[in-house]
Amino acid sequence: MDAQQLAAELRARSLSLFGRSLHVRTLDSGSCAVCESEIRLLAAPHYDLHRLGLFFTPAPRHADLLLVSGAAVRAMDLAVRKTYEATPDPKAVVAIGACALGGVYESDLFLHGAVDEVIPVDVYVPGCPPSPLALLQGLLVAIGRLEERVSTARFDLREERTA
Amino acid sequence: MLWFLRGLRRGVVTTRYPRECDRWAQALPTPPRFDSELLTDELVQALVDACPARAIGRQYRALVLDLGRCTSCGRCYEVGGEAVVPSGMFELAARERTDLVKRIPIRRGYA
Repeated sequence: MDAQQLAAELRARSLSLFGRSLHVRTLDSGSCAVCESEIRLLAAPHYDLHRLGLFFTPAPRHADLLLVSGAAVRAMDLAVRKTYEATPDPKAVVAIGACALGGVYESDLFLHGAVDEVIPVDVYVPGCPPSPLALLQGLLVAIGRLEERVSTARFDLREERTA
Repeated sequence: MLWFLRGLRRGVVTTRYPRECDRWAQALPTPPRFDSELLTDELVQALVDACPARAIGRQYRALVLDLGRCTSCGRCYEVGGEAVVPSGMFELAARERTDLVKRIPIRRGYA
Protein backbone atom coordinates (compact mmCIF):
# COMPACT_ATOMS: atom_id res chain seq x y z
CA MET A 1 0.00 0.00 0.00
CA ASP A 2 1.48 3.33 -0.97
CA ALA A 3 1.47 6.59 0.94
CA GLN A 4 -1.40 8.09 -1.06
CA GLN A 5 -3.72 5.20 -0.22
CA LEU A 6 -2.67 5.30 3.44
CA ALA A 7 -3.35 9.02 3.60
CA ALA A 8 -6.82 8.57 2.07
CA GLU A 9 -7.65 5.80 4.55
CA LEU A 10 -6.38 7.86 7.49
CA ARG A 11 -8.46 10.82 6.36
CA ALA A 12 -11.61 8.67 6.08
CA ARG A 13 -11.00 7.24 9.55
CA SER A 14 -10.46 10.62 11.15
CA LEU A 15 -13.65 11.89 9.48
CA SER A 16 -15.61 8.98 10.92
CA LEU A 17 -14.13 9.84 14.34
CA PHE A 18 -15.65 13.32 14.06
CA GLY A 19 -18.98 11.57 13.69
CA ARG A 20 -21.97 13.87 13.82
CA SER A 21 -20.71 16.28 16.45
CA LEU A 22 -17.85 18.66 15.92
CA HIS A 23 -16.43 21.49 17.98
CA VAL A 24 -15.05 24.53 16.26
CA ARG A 25 -12.48 26.98 17.61
CA THR A 26 -12.12 30.27 15.78
CA LEU A 27 -8.64 31.72 15.49
CA ASP A 28 -7.95 35.28 14.38
CA SER A 29 -4.47 35.64 12.92
CA GLY A 30 -4.88 39.37 12.35
CA SER A 31 -8.12 39.96 10.47
CA CYS A 32 -10.27 43.08 10.23
CA ALA A 33 -13.07 41.34 12.22
CA VAL A 34 -15.53 41.17 9.32
CA CYS A 35 -14.83 37.43 8.93
CA GLU A 36 -15.52 37.15 12.67
CA SER A 37 -18.85 38.92 12.31
CA GLU A 38 -19.82 36.40 9.61
CA ILE A 39 -18.70 33.51 11.85
CA ARG A 40 -20.83 34.95 14.65
CA LEU A 41 -23.84 34.89 12.32
CA LEU A 42 -23.47 31.10 11.96
CA ALA A 43 -24.81 30.75 15.50
CA ALA A 44 -27.78 33.06 14.79
CA PRO A 45 -31.26 31.53 14.25
CA HIS A 46 -31.12 31.94 10.47
CA TYR A 47 -28.09 29.70 9.96
CA ASP A 48 -28.29 27.80 13.25
CA LEU A 49 -25.19 25.67 12.95
CA HIS A 50 -26.16 23.59 15.96
CA ARG A 51 -28.79 21.81 13.84
CA LEU A 52 -25.85 20.27 11.91
CA GLY A 53 -24.11 19.07 15.08
CA LEU A 54 -21.46 21.80 14.97
CA PHE A 55 -20.63 23.84 18.06
CA PHE A 56 -18.29 26.68 18.96
CA THR A 57 -15.90 26.09 21.80
CA PRO A 58 -13.77 28.69 23.61
CA ALA A 59 -10.74 26.39 24.04
CA PRO A 60 -8.52 24.82 21.37
CA ARG A 61 -8.06 21.78 23.63
CA HIS A 62 -11.75 21.01 23.24
CA ALA A 63 -11.80 21.69 19.49
CA ASP A 64 -11.75 19.37 16.48
CA LEU A 65 -11.55 22.08 13.87
CA LEU A 66 -9.79 25.44 13.67
CA LEU A 67 -11.43 28.22 11.71
CA VAL A 68 -8.56 30.58 10.89
CA SER A 69 -9.12 34.08 9.54
CA GLY A 70 -6.75 36.95 8.85
CA ALA A 71 -3.50 37.54 6.99
CA ALA A 72 -1.22 35.64 9.42
CA VAL A 73 0.47 38.60 11.11
CA ARG A 74 3.99 37.62 12.21
CA ALA A 75 3.31 38.86 15.76
CA MET A 76 0.61 36.16 15.97
CA ASP A 77 2.95 33.31 14.87
CA LEU A 78 3.44 31.97 18.38
CA ALA A 79 -0.28 32.15 19.21
CA VAL A 80 -1.27 30.45 15.96
CA ARG A 81 1.30 27.65 16.37
CA LYS A 82 0.40 27.13 20.03
CA THR A 83 -3.30 26.94 19.19
CA TYR A 84 -2.57 24.44 16.42
CA GLU A 85 -0.46 22.28 18.75
CA ALA A 86 -3.02 22.50 21.56
CA THR A 87 -5.77 21.13 19.31
CA PRO A 88 -5.93 17.35 19.78
CA ASP A 89 -5.51 15.03 16.78
CA PRO A 90 -7.30 14.33 14.51
CA LYS A 91 -7.86 17.96 13.63
CA ALA A 92 -8.86 19.96 10.60
CA VAL A 93 -7.89 23.52 9.71
CA VAL A 94 -10.16 25.74 7.59
CA ALA A 95 -8.68 29.02 6.31
CA ILE A 96 -11.36 31.61 5.58
CA GLY A 97 -11.34 34.91 3.78
CA ALA A 98 -9.22 36.43 1.04
CA CYS A 99 -6.52 37.57 3.52
CA ALA A 100 -5.97 34.05 4.84
CA LEU A 101 -5.68 32.71 1.29
CA GLY A 102 -3.01 35.11 0.09
CA GLY A 103 -5.07 37.93 -1.35
CA VAL A 104 -5.22 41.56 -0.23
CA TYR A 105 -1.83 41.66 1.56
CA GLU A 106 1.60 40.75 0.19
CA SER A 107 4.04 38.92 2.41
CA ASP A 108 6.29 41.46 4.11
CA LEU A 109 8.10 42.24 7.37
CA PHE A 110 4.90 42.30 9.36
CA LEU A 111 2.79 39.51 7.93
CA HIS A 112 3.08 36.22 6.07
CA GLY A 113 0.13 37.07 3.83
CA ALA A 114 -1.32 33.55 3.92
CA VAL A 115 -2.22 31.18 6.72
CA ASP A 116 -0.70 28.07 5.06
CA GLU A 117 2.76 29.61 5.50
CA VAL A 118 2.36 29.05 9.25
CA ILE A 119 0.16 25.96 9.74
CA PRO A 120 -1.10 23.29 7.29
CA VAL A 121 -4.57 24.05 5.92
CA ASP A 122 -7.15 21.41 4.90
CA VAL A 123 -9.91 23.52 3.35
CA TYR A 124 -9.79 26.99 1.82
CA VAL A 125 -12.90 29.20 1.83
CA PRO A 126 -12.56 32.30 -0.38
CA GLY A 127 -14.61 35.46 -0.01
CA CYS A 128 -14.24 38.91 1.47
CA PRO A 129 -15.92 38.19 3.78
CA PRO A 130 -17.22 34.69 2.96
CA SER A 131 -20.99 34.59 3.44
CA PRO A 132 -22.21 32.41 6.34
CA LEU A 133 -23.56 30.02 3.68
CA ALA A 134 -20.08 29.76 2.16
CA LEU A 135 -18.64 29.15 5.65
CA LEU A 136 -21.21 26.41 6.25
CA GLN A 137 -20.24 24.77 2.99
CA GLY A 138 -16.55 25.03 3.93
CA LEU A 139 -17.17 23.39 7.31
CA LEU A 140 -19.24 20.59 5.75
CA VAL A 141 -16.57 20.01 3.09
CA ALA A 142 -13.92 19.85 5.81
CA ILE A 143 -15.76 17.08 7.65
CA GLY A 144 -16.67 15.26 4.44
CA ARG A 145 -20.45 15.82 4.50
CA LEU A 146 -20.50 17.83 1.26
CA GLU A 147 -18.46 17.48 -1.91
CA GLU A 148 -16.36 20.45 -2.97
CA ARG A 149 -17.55 21.93 -6.25
CA VAL A 150 -14.97 24.50 -7.23
CA SER A 151 -12.40 22.13 -8.79
CA THR A 152 -14.85 21.17 -11.55
CA ALA A 153 -16.51 24.60 -11.88
CA ARG A 154 -15.88 26.48 -15.13
CA PHE A 155 -15.09 30.16 -15.11
CA ASP A 156 -15.01 30.46 -18.90
CA LEU A 157 -18.47 30.90 -20.46
CA ARG A 158 -17.40 29.36 -23.79
CA GLU A 159 -15.97 26.24 -22.23
CA GLU A 160 -19.32 25.56 -20.58
CA ARG A 161 -21.23 25.95 -23.82
CA THR A 162 -19.00 23.58 -25.80
CA ALA A 163 -18.81 20.96 -23.04
CA MET B 1 -47.76 35.03 24.39
CA LEU B 2 -47.28 37.60 21.65
CA TRP B 3 -43.86 36.22 20.67
CA PHE B 4 -45.45 32.81 20.19
CA LEU B 5 -48.12 34.14 17.79
CA ARG B 6 -45.53 36.19 15.93
CA GLY B 7 -43.42 33.05 15.59
CA LEU B 8 -46.36 31.10 14.19
CA ARG B 9 -47.06 33.83 11.64
CA ARG B 10 -43.48 34.05 10.35
CA GLY B 11 -42.90 30.32 10.31
CA VAL B 12 -39.42 28.76 10.32
CA VAL B 13 -36.71 31.29 9.49
CA THR B 14 -33.78 28.86 9.59
CA THR B 15 -32.16 28.18 6.22
CA ARG B 16 -32.40 24.64 4.82
CA TYR B 17 -28.97 25.18 3.33
CA PRO B 18 -27.24 21.85 2.67
CA ARG B 19 -30.50 20.44 1.25
CA GLU B 20 -31.65 23.47 -0.71
CA CYS B 21 -30.27 26.94 -1.24
CA ASP B 22 -31.92 30.19 -0.18
CA ARG B 23 -33.17 32.28 -3.07
CA TRP B 24 -31.42 35.42 -1.81
CA ALA B 25 -28.07 33.65 -2.19
CA GLN B 26 -28.27 34.57 -5.90
CA ALA B 27 -27.73 38.19 -4.88
CA LEU B 28 -24.46 37.55 -3.01
CA PRO B 29 -21.37 39.22 -4.47
CA THR B 30 -19.49 36.52 -6.38
CA PRO B 31 -16.25 36.24 -8.38
CA PRO B 32 -16.38 36.94 -12.12
CA ARG B 33 -16.77 34.54 -15.02
CA PHE B 34 -15.26 35.37 -18.41
CA ASP B 35 -16.28 35.05 -22.03
CA SER B 36 -13.00 33.94 -23.58
CA GLU B 37 -14.16 34.78 -27.13
CA LEU B 38 -14.45 38.44 -26.17
CA LEU B 39 -11.13 38.69 -24.27
CA THR B 40 -8.46 40.76 -25.97
CA ASP B 41 -4.95 41.44 -24.70
CA GLU B 42 -5.80 45.09 -24.06
CA LEU B 43 -8.92 44.18 -22.11
CA VAL B 44 -7.02 41.66 -19.99
CA GLN B 45 -4.35 44.27 -19.25
CA ALA B 46 -7.11 46.70 -18.20
CA LEU B 47 -8.61 44.00 -15.95
CA VAL B 48 -5.22 43.27 -14.37
CA ASP B 49 -4.77 46.99 -13.65
CA ALA B 50 -8.31 47.36 -12.28
CA CYS B 51 -8.13 44.43 -9.84
CA PRO B 52 -7.19 45.78 -6.39
CA ALA B 53 -6.65 42.32 -4.88
CA ARG B 54 -4.24 41.01 -7.56
CA ALA B 55 -6.73 38.22 -8.24
CA ILE B 56 -6.55 38.68 -12.02
CA GLY B 57 -3.18 38.03 -13.62
CA ARG B 58 -1.85 37.15 -17.04
CA GLN B 59 0.34 34.31 -18.23
CA TYR B 60 1.21 34.24 -21.93
CA ARG B 61 -2.06 33.61 -23.80
CA ALA B 62 -4.25 33.15 -20.73
CA LEU B 63 -5.93 35.15 -18.04
CA VAL B 64 -5.29 33.66 -14.60
CA LEU B 65 -8.05 34.16 -12.04
CA ASP B 66 -7.18 33.36 -8.43
CA LEU B 67 -10.52 32.87 -6.67
CA GLY B 68 -8.77 32.75 -3.30
CA ARG B 69 -7.61 36.32 -3.73
CA CYS B 70 -10.82 37.67 -5.24
CA THR B 71 -12.79 39.94 -2.91
CA SER B 72 -15.82 40.13 -5.26
CA CYS B 73 -15.55 43.91 -5.35
CA GLY B 74 -17.04 44.09 -8.85
CA ARG B 75 -14.54 46.50 -10.44
CA CYS B 76 -13.83 44.03 -13.26
CA TYR B 77 -17.52 44.14 -14.27
CA GLU B 78 -17.21 47.88 -14.87
CA VAL B 79 -14.06 47.46 -16.97
CA GLY B 80 -14.94 44.27 -18.79
CA GLY B 81 -18.45 45.01 -20.08
CA GLU B 82 -20.00 41.95 -21.70
CA ALA B 83 -16.85 39.85 -21.44
CA VAL B 84 -17.06 39.70 -17.63
CA VAL B 85 -20.20 38.58 -15.79
CA PRO B 86 -20.87 37.51 -12.19
CA SER B 87 -20.53 33.75 -11.74
CA GLY B 88 -23.25 33.58 -9.07
CA MET B 89 -21.25 30.82 -7.38
CA PHE B 90 -20.60 31.23 -3.66
CA GLU B 91 -19.84 27.59 -2.76
CA LEU B 92 -16.14 27.98 -3.34
CA ALA B 93 -14.56 25.86 -0.61
CA ALA B 94 -11.55 23.93 -1.95
CA ARG B 95 -9.35 21.16 -0.61
CA GLU B 96 -6.36 22.24 -2.68
CA ARG B 97 -5.22 25.83 -3.02
CA THR B 98 -4.43 25.21 -6.70
CA ASP B 99 -8.09 24.29 -7.39
CA LEU B 100 -8.91 27.95 -6.85
CA VAL B 101 -6.63 29.14 -9.66
CA LYS B 102 -8.47 29.19 -13.01
CA ARG B 103 -6.87 29.72 -16.42
CA ILE B 104 -9.01 31.32 -19.12
CA PRO B 105 -7.56 31.44 -22.67
CA ILE B 106 -7.50 34.81 -24.47
CA ARG B 107 -9.07 33.79 -27.80
CA ARG B 108 -9.48 37.17 -29.49
CA GLY B 109 -5.83 38.24 -29.32
CA TYR B 110 -4.94 41.86 -30.08
CA ALA B 111 -7.93 44.00 -31.02
